[in-house]
Amino acid sequence: MSNFLQFTIFGVMFGAGYAIAATGLVVTYTTSGVFNFAQGAVGMIAAFTYWVLVSEHHVPILVALVIILIVGASIAGALVERVLMRRLHGASAERPVMVTLGLMVILTGVATVVWSPTTQRQVGNMVNGQFRLDGINIQYQEVLIIGVAAAVAVGLRLLFYSTRTGVALRAVVDDPELVAMAGASPNRMSQYGWILGFVMAALAGVLLAPTQTTGLNIEYMTLLVVNGYAAAIVGRLKNIPVTFAAAIGIGLAENYIISYVLPHLPQSLVPDITLALPMVFLFIALVTLPSVRLRAAGRLSTVRAPRVAGGKESLIGGVAFLVVACVLAAIFNNVQFQGTTILTLGGVVMCLGIVGLSLVLVTGYSGQISLCQFSFMGIGAFIMGKVAGGGSLLGLVAATVICAAVGALIALPTIRLRDLYLALATFAFADAVANGFFVDTHIYGAGGLTVGRIVLPGLSFGGDASEFLLVTAFFVVAAWIVLSIRRSLFGRRMLALNDSPAAYATVGLNIGITKVMAFAIAAGMAGLAGALYGTEEQVVGTSNFDFFSGIIFVLFVTIWSIRTVSGAFLAALTFVVLNQVWANGLGIFAGVGIILIGRAAGGILGLEALQGLLPWVRRSAAEAGESPVSPLGGTAVLRGETRAAG
Amino acid sequence: MPQGDRPDGAVLTVSEVAVRFGGVAALSDVSLSVQPGTVTGLIGPNGAGKTTLFNVISGLQTPGRGRVFLYDTDVTAMKPHRRARLGLARTFQRLELFGSLTAAENVQVGLESGVQWWRPRHLARRIPGRRRSADSPPDRSGPARVDAATCNRLLEEVGLVGVGARHSSSMSTGLARMVELARALAIGPTLLLLDEPGSGLDDAESTVLGDLLSKLAAAGMAVLLVEHDMELVMRICDRIYVLDFGDIIASGTPDEIRTNPMVQAAYLGEAVPDSAASPPAAVQVPVAGTGTATTTATATTTTDTGTDDGAAR
Repeated sequence: MSNFLQFTIFGVMFGAGYAIAATGLVVTYTTSGVFNFAQGAVGMIAAFTYWVLVSEHHVPILVALVIILIVGASIAGALVERVLMRRLHGASAERPVMVTLGLMVILTGVATVVWSPTTQRQVGNMVNGQFRLDGINIQYQEVLIIGVAAAVAVGLRLLFYSTRTGVALRAVVDDPELVAMAGASPNRMSQYGWILGFVMAALAGVLLAPTQTTGLNIEYMTLLVVNGYAAAIVGRLKNIPVTFAAAIGIGLAENYIISYVLPHLPQSLVPDITLALPMVFLFIALVTLPSVRLRAAGRLSTVRAPRVAGGKESLIGGVAFLVVACVLAAIFNNVQFQGTTILTLGGVVMCLGIVGLSLVLVTGYSGQISLCQFSFMGIGAFIMGKVAGGGSLLGLVAATVICAAVGALIALPTIRLRDLYLALATFAFADAVANGFFVDTHIYGAGGLTVGRIVLPGLSFGGDASEFLLVTAFFVVAAWIVLSIRRSLFGRRMLALNDSPAAYATVGLNIGITKVMAFAIAAGMAGLAGALYGTEEQVVGTSNFDFFSGIIFVLFVTIWSIRTVSGAFLAALTFVVLNQVWANGLGIFAGVGIILIGRAAGGILGLEALQGLLPWVRRSAAEAGESPVSPLGGTAVLRGETRAAG
Repeated sequence: MPQGDRPDGAVLTVSEVAVRFGGVAALSDVSLSVQPGTVTGLIGPNGAGKTTLFNVISGLQTPGRGRVFLYDTDVTAMKPHRRARLGLARTFQRLELFGSLTAAENVQVGLESGVQWWRPRHLARRIPGRRRSADSPPDRSGPARVDAATCNRLLEEVGLVGVGARHSSSMSTGLARMVELARALAIGPTLLLLDEPGSGLDDAESTVLGDLLSKLAAAGMAVLLVEHDMELVMRICDRIYVLDFGDIIASGTPDEIRTNPMVQAAYLGEAVPDSAASPPAAVQVPVAGTGTATTTATATTTTDTGTDDGAAR
């Protein structure tokens, strides 16, 4: 019984931490319509800053809290809203997701540079001492966390229901124009929302910091909030009391499972299951959500589609690309760069290029945000290493097919829901796979998993040059397939679905099938890329498919252009080059890049200034549009405003 | 109309449909039917619930109560794409074009809607049999491919020449509306729901639209038309329903509607005369465009205005 009480108190305490973070997410979402993926990173920065102030410089705790919460988090929240978010109004749905992810990788990147991961940082309790209850010791720190969470809950309730600002805050997402007419500025309300969100993220980070008994860890602190996602989803991203209760429930469930269920399972599985729990909770939350009603958005996509190369043109382009690759293979054969051969790096570029192509398909064409393409890559490499002793063609096929099936399974629970939920599900999946599955020593082994080069009868790909050319050929074929899909019936359908789901359904097309097919094909491609990556590197380990690298790569593709094959290739090229030059700075590059590119949906390649310079990224010739003539005489351009494109 | 009591041969039967948004009744016990080969008008002030009713019929909104039938099939719980496959097509008050596709590709997506892309033979078999419009009977011997020419032909049928290659995101509202109409026709519908197709058109273009709709109806299609252009509605509709505050307050031929005092009251915000049972013959519904009707009606229904928009958002 006393054990049960102890587990319950732990559960409520962690739940209270998640609750504070989750309500912060909900407040930001309801006031600005943006789900802040950087919520956990803000908490992480707050926790590390708290450590610097209190543990390193012995600043009194209360002063530290004022500096972090009242000054730091508030100003940061206001600035982020003003500088980053406000200009995204009216941008495509994926852009706020990308910008908050950019913020997340900037914060984790800066943290990695400032606070070396090798140093142990232990944060002491804010209040020391304990008391006994029913035979167990309860620390005052635990009581403090629960008490603060309760105070936050009551405070928010009072704010939202008993103050004029609170009512305006609740109303602003429903109808900003009505709020403006009622005398409140929607921008200011949105800013208050971001300030509150940041303060609560920081509060959760500071409160949970002392519970990290093995010391503060950048990645772990950043992802601690994933449990809060599930709670926020149960509260449907708008209901604070339900979110709060769900967070406490998740904290309890997590502690009960760890305490009562896991001891009865094989010990080797315990870390995997523990780390996969947030993912399980998130999926349960997603499955319980009611379907979203299709709404006519009443807004035309104003993103101009990039020109799509014709069949013959892409064939010629592909052959030219291969010829250039052959020349490069001859020039750089056996040339070394920072301990590895240039051609191995080139092969990695091609593998990542295929992952980029999978993103073009799933996000660029069909509009679904996938943050777990690196997870599929990791699974693909694992399958490649395990099937038929590694290095077999069968492995490539198995990696593609199995990853496609896993992709379909992930997409299935979310097809009824808004696109944001797929992004959340893939975020949680990427976290669970990278930090649960891949770190298990049974998966890649302690020294990494040997995959080996592909062996074909009469053909050897043992040399770097031949392997490079093989992988390049795969990239060219993948690019050709992606372009063919774009020109096909299915390609038109993906774009149509992306533009208007309501119209898509009312012309008799099944949204769910198209979404799952697109996601599964992209997952299969990423799996294939992973298998090829395995043959390129020959030995793969946990660090190859790291969670943050996956997010950063998505940002790279978005920065260049997530709708074009060239964008996928250039993203892979710059990612690999920068990774060689300054690996720790990748996140900062990606975050700053996505912020600079802002709402330009076409990325760098879509920028107006480049249109004349790069012939292969020219916009559709049809854009110029001859003046049409209607049968009534005169022009067929009927009355009404002309829609600006761009 | 009690549930299950459906007029013979009706393409669409809406039976006692009710929708509430929070405390506001957007539709209360709405019943109507649409016969094949007719144009049926659905008029009413802004916020009367017309778009909500369209959403219920096309499956974008689940009604709290009531049933919707396409022929004899109860489609109340059916998904929008399944209804479309039964022959229901619609356009939207606020444009819902595929903005990253060209006008011709928009139509092409409609033409190919019955094709399962992973079965190319299905495409070859299915496309020639699809009706491109009501007055072009199914052509089962034509080419198997949906090429640009086929799409352009369909665009020409709605009066658009030379716009096939243009991106729909760069079009004017009126032009885009016609592309949306062509896309709706491309799925070969037996029932066509049009939500204010005339807004953004000038008088001459509006006349062409009216003639086109009459031609479609003459070929057997059932058309349900929401429109503020009273001249157009009175000219081409065989029957008109008047919706106000979520209620059908009148139905009948254009002449009956023109002389109905309830309609007069709804549009002008006047009290219904006691002698409503025997309407004065002289009462005229304002028909000169949307000006009078829209402005006055908005003033009388301010509480309901958000409902329609809310449903459409």
